[in-house]
Amino acid sequence: MTSTHCGKEAELARPIIIDTDPGIDDAVALLLAFASPEFDIKGVTVVSGNVALEHTVRNTLQVCELADRRDVPVYPGCTRPMLRDPVYGLFSGQGGLGKTELPPPTMTVRETHAVDYLVAALTDAARAGEPVTLCTLGPLTNVALALAHTPRIRDGIESIVMMAGAFRELGNRSISAEFNILVDPHAAHIVFEAGIPIVMLPLDVTHQAMATPARIDAIRAVGNPVTDVVADILTFWDRKDSKRFGGRGGPLHDPLVLDYLLAPEHYGSDEARVWVEHSSELLMGHTVADFWGKTGEKPNAKVVLKVDADAFFELLGRRLAKYARG
Amino acid sequence: MSPLPVIIDCDPGVDDAVAILLALASPELEVLGITTVAGNVAGALTAKNARKVCELAGRRDIGVFAGCERPLLRPQIFGKYKEGGGLAGDTLPEPTMPLGSSHAVDFLRAALAAPRPVKVTLCTMGPLTNVAVALARDPGLAARIERIVSMGGAFTALGNRSPAAEFNVLADPHAAHVVLRSGVPIDLLPLDLTFQALATPEWLSGIEEIGRIGIVVHRLLTYFDRSDLARFGRPGGPLHDPLVIASLLWPEIFSGQSAWVGVDLAGRRTLGHTCIAWGGAGGRAANARVLTQVDSAAFFLRLKERLVLFVQGVSGTRE
Repeated sequence: MTSTHCGKEAELARPIIIDTDPGIDDAVALLLAFASPEFDIKGVTVVSGNVALEHTVRNTLQVCELADRRDVPVYPGCTRPMLRDPVYGLFSGQGGLGKTELPPPTMTVRETHAVDYLVAALTDAARAGEPVTLCTLGPLTNVALALAHTPRIRDGIESIVMMAGAFRELGNRSISAEFNILVDPHAAHIVFEAGIPIVMLPLDVTHQAMATPARIDAIRAVGNPVTDVVADILTFWDRKDSKRFGGRGGPLHDPLVLDYLLAPEHYGSDEARVWVEHSSELLMGHTVADFWGKTGEKPNAKVVLKVDADAFFELLGRRLAKYARG
Repeated sequence: MSPLPVIIDCDPGVDDAVAILLALASPELEVLGITTVAGNVAGALTAKNARKVCELAGRRDIGVFAGCERPLLRPQIFGKYKEGGGLAGDTLPEPTMPLGSSHAVDFLRAALAAPRPVKVTLCTMGPLTNVAVALARDPGLAARIERIVSMGGAFTALGNRSPAAEFNVLADPHAAHVVLRSGVPIDLLPLDLTFQALATPEWLSGIEEIGRIGIVVHRLLTYFDRSDLARFGRPGGPLHDPLVIASLLWPEIFSGQSAWVGVDLAGRRTLGHTCIAWGGAGGRAANARVLTQVDSAAFFLRLKERLVLFVQGVSGTRE
């Protein structure tokens, strides 16, 4: 990959910050972002989520190096949710990238804490009148703490596009809650009440994007070192739960956040007022939406409910094919 | 076969009214009594409305017992369509038949405890306050109930009275919790099911042609326009409660599966939300059979047929 930080393309590229907790689907999302000149990636902030922070940070660095993007600044963030004890993911394996062992990273993280970086970068963005799109792929702890610290950073945020929540789809980490929200429902509440434009991609849409064996085969057939790794980790990602998903494969949640920005035409969405439940233990992290304006409250999120999964996987394959052959 | 003994616990409510008519029109069921509860409208009105419906059906002999006037713990809420007293204003005349002398809870306790060859099936169409108070007062009653068939809850359908909750559960979530953990076999009919049964304008105009009961049913169901095109994609309001009776009469047009169902009692946004673990997954033992599919065309066809036969029977014997 050549750097995308020069020339006309970069001028038109959308400035983004990716907040992430790799995580297998986070890794694929990062690889999609790195291969997309439409993005000007200002930084990657890392949070505890699928696995503990030491692992999510290491995985982020390894993925940057796999993509030959040692130039990306990586900021380690919060080590645990705001109030609750951490819960970790179930499907990313002990280290967070399945059974795949990437070489130990040689690049290092930035010394700035992710929350401090978000505050500074978004303050600058607000001042410059060049708001940044925040792509969140994990629990919202870093973002919530930045907003709590300096609320006016909202002016530096174009929108937050997040993988989060579940409505008609039942939960994945509890019977009624999606993982990213469940891990830190209080952080999610802060973000949803902040008055920032939000696009959320809940399980309702991500469960339509199944990394089936056939789709993984198509990625593997590209035959570069990146697609080899992606095919391996997605094979590990298989839920083997045909009863729930109607076939083999795992839902490729996080890359949809990037694909949504690259190709909004792949998606269908509804505006809704969304709330995060954070006081009931039974429903902890459950997201509630008023899709039909029955409460009279103004929508605070665009809820993405449909994806053209074939078009998404086709674009993902094309982008991953841009990585150099080994 | 001897008819199935049932007690109807309800809060009429126009769909409750149609449910009562369907039950009284069905020789497969023996309605032992009707207990009423505050819900769609205040308790005094539901007790009156149930009698209006019995009189419409020519069944002044049915015992109607007024029950709890408030939910167990939460502040009271009524239905979205409470205007007009619950049964479309003066569509039906004031009832002259008396209320039963017992409180609904005491009638339930006595009727359930009485020895009989077949245990009673309890059909609930409103908030579960009466049933919960009866079970809390006398937990042994649980073993005396054949089954509770209950309209309540919402899963993938999302809520109706709040974004997260279905009305009957939202109106008394603590009562629903008591009933769901009682150990009584429960058939639950959530919005996911009842939203499939929309009373379309075509069906309603057909029903109007079958005589007085048809005209009344038409008026009850058109007093408010319950259509929600944005939500349902086609005209027609959901006919929730009659499905409870229909599931007893025609189980073959329903399908469902067992699940653990919980009720939220603590949430700020999720109070009364029902959550579900299909098959009782995750160490939670199934506590209900949740009905998820109904052949709506068959239901409306059979409901109309029943009412036609009933109108003919009533006019043949009583007019």
